[in-house]
Amino acid sequence: MEYRRREILGASATGIAAAVAGCLGSGGDGGEAGIAGEELALATTTSTYDTGLLDEVNAAFQERFGTPVAANAQGTGAAIESARNGNADVILVHARSQEDEFMRDGHGVNRRDLMFNDFVIVGPSDDPAGVGDTEQATAAFDAIANAQAPFVSRGDDSGTHTKELAIWDAAGVEPGGEWYQELGQGMGNTLNNASESGSYTLADRGTFLSMQDNVDLEILLQGPIEGGPELLANPYGIMAVNPEIHSNVNYQLAMAYIGFFTSPAGQDVVSNYTANGQQLFYPEALSEDPDFQQYVPEGWQSDGDSE
Amino acid sequence: MNLDLDDVSYGVDGTAILSDVSLSVGSGEVVTVIGPSGAGKTTLLRLAALFERPTGGALRCDRTDPWALSREDRLAVRRRIGMVFQRASLFETSVARNVDIGRRIRRPWPQRLRGFGRRLADRLVRDEPTVDDRVLEALELVGLGDAWDRDAASLSGGEAQRVSFARALATDPDLLVLDEPTSDLDPRNTAILEQAIDRSRERGHGVLLATHDMHQAERVSDRVAFLLDGELVEIGPAERVFEDPRDERTARFVRGDLLYDDNELLA
Amino acid sequence: MPFESIADPTYLRSIVRVSLTVSLTAVLLSTALSLPIAFAVGFSEFRGKRLITAVINTGMGFPSVVVGLLVLMALSSSGPFGSLELVYTPEAMILSQCVLAAPVITGVALSSVESVDEAVRDAAYGVGGTRADVALITLKEARFGVVTGVLAGFGRAISEVGSVLIVGGNIAYADGTSKTRTITTAITLETRRGEFETALVLGAVLLALVLLVNGVVMRLGGR
Repeated sequence: MEYRRREILGASATGIAAAVAGCLGSGGDGGEAGIAGEELALATTTSTYDTGLLDEVNAAFQERFGTPVAANAQGTGAAIESARNGNADVILVHARSQEDEFMRDGHGVNRRDLMFNDFVIVGPSDDPAGVGDTEQATAAFDAIANAQAPFVSRGDDSGTHTKELAIWDAAGVEPGGEWYQELGQGMGNTLNNASESGSYTLADRGTFLSMQDNVDLEILLQGPIEGGPELLANPYGIMAVNPEIHSNVNYQLAMAYIGFFTSPAGQDVVSNYTANGQQLFYPEALSEDPDFQQYVPEGWQSDGDSE
Repeated sequence: MNLDLDDVSYGVDGTAILSDVSLSVGSGEVVTVIGPSGAGKTTLLRLAALFERPTGGALRCDRTDPWALSREDRLAVRRRIGMVFQRASLFETSVARNVDIGRRIRRPWPQRLRGFGRRLADRLVRDEPTVDDRVLEALELVGLGDAWDRDAASLSGGEAQRVSFARALATDPDLLVLDEPTSDLDPRNTAILEQAIDRSRERGHGVLLATHDMHQAERVSDRVAFLLDGELVEIGPAERVFEDPRDERTARFVRGDLLYDDNELLA
Repeated sequence: MPFESIADPTYLRSIVRVSLTVSLTAVLLSTALSLPIAFAVGFSEFRGKRLITAVINTGMGFPSVVVGLLVLMALSSSGPFGSLELVYTPEAMILSQCVLAAPVITGVALSSVESVDEAVRDAAYGVGGTRADVALITLKEARFGVVTGVLAGFGRAISEVGSVLIVGGNIAYADGTSKTRTITTAITLETRRGEFETALVLGAVLLALVLLVNGVVMRLGGR
């Protein structure tokens, strides 16, 4: 793999590439790559990146393996799409249904449960829809829809957006009308928007906690971490891109990254990471008991020998 | 340089602009072309300055047809000719650099590039203009010796035309081709330019001049050629052409009553 | 961690370096491409010239996100040029900014070359200029327009966010050094994170850089 990359680098070293590489390299303080020119391409979600967690993990990974990680933070849908096009070596996302589809299509291999946090329903402190009085996510969404209170949706096919749609579905409500706005933006932008417009929204706890000081919003319904409904759980999965489909991906490095992230050292980084004194993510990769469902699409059973 | 035109014709897309014009300009001689607008004076001058190639006949510089030469050799011939146009059309820079342009572009490329680099560097730190003796000399010939550091855009129309004359003189050409250089000028500027033409003649340069001004033609010319509808009607010593024109049309023109009506000559 | 520390000079410096390297290289390449086109079109008369001019002028307003999308599709590993492995690299950003800046530079240069009087070209030929000299002198006469075009192209390149976000991916390493994060994409990131102060500082840096480049170029151009 390394050889091929370097060959291609050499072949494409036209004037442009050479000039740019020269310019960029001259800085000296960037990219002490373990193997010349190598780096891991990670497609991930805005929630892991914007909270700053990945910088901690990736710095530790680079220290251990000498290879920098190029993290491209998009929504879960965009991250998976870019991996489908062979533009990433490994993906770290949080929408199990989309992950499963990715695996079933043969693009992803070696999935692991990685960590979790939860979603919270946030809104203005005066809480016009009375979300604070509900105990289930579906009831909360129902209340918002009944009150026609303003709600902003990520609307970007991200993991959070996928979860939000699942909750509307479970509540039996078809959201629509002037009170429901799709932004097509990341979590941070969506929280800013909700804060400015006095709207409700569904947020992952990590991003909300890291931005809490900058927005005028309150948690009105907690997720399972604080005893809220299980529907608001937010599990993150990690998997490598199938090297048999995308011959250009760096599979070995991807597995090294997955191995590091799910190792005790990597999981320690997750549990020790805090913002405003609060833990944002909870490790889920390590367990004494077997958990076979993390390796396969949810509910998958082999035709032959299982059962 | 001796310029000879032998039955030279020129046409564009089948339309004849000049037909069978024969004319010569020797060293130290001023030949003036007169004729009404549209007679082909400018075209004749552009042919003489090697801007355009004749479509018929032969044009020779010192008995050599420049159009039979290689591009490089023809450039060498062309660079012995200086041209001044009716409009000054100076470049947007200082007077000195305008006058110096001909000499700059004659230098070899490495030297030009170094000069360009030096100038860019100068711009960043300081901007002190300098002037060359040859440039000053050319400017003094048109009475503008103290204007070298001025911006070309700040000149009056007359001054600009005098600078464009100096620009042509600075490369010390053997032949000067002047296309109505004084038609937009006041008498004082006209007089200065006429003096400069005299001076060029004294230095042995040939001068081919086109003008509308009959008095100027009488004052500066050795010989005068009358051009009408692309044909050379008459050529001879200035005094003779003005005093005793051989052709009736020349007589009418120099008297001032040769006019066009609906583009047809009133006979 | 690098996020808390916009004051961290490494982070800021490497973002600025990527921005400048990408945009300056893009403008340089784009200028090398655009000026010959502007000259070729400006110096000749042919059928379809008005159409070409119209196409160039339309290109000036071409949406950067569309350019980014097209470049991404072309360079993506599964796309036609995927084997070059250029997606999410500075080279990809240079390519898309090049595409964005070229019509601006060509269009402004073309109109300024065309505004140079025929008489000036005659004068350049008349003092003994070769065709190359005439072209150079015309270029010098049109230089303020050409420089304005190049600066406008640079302004478009360094301040656009749509295409570099798509083809570059806004990537920085964990140690705070930027791979494809430019000032503009960093501003979108910081805004998304609610770090408005940091975003403002970056905006001020961007403004200062554009001013600086304009100042240096204008000084060189002589005005």
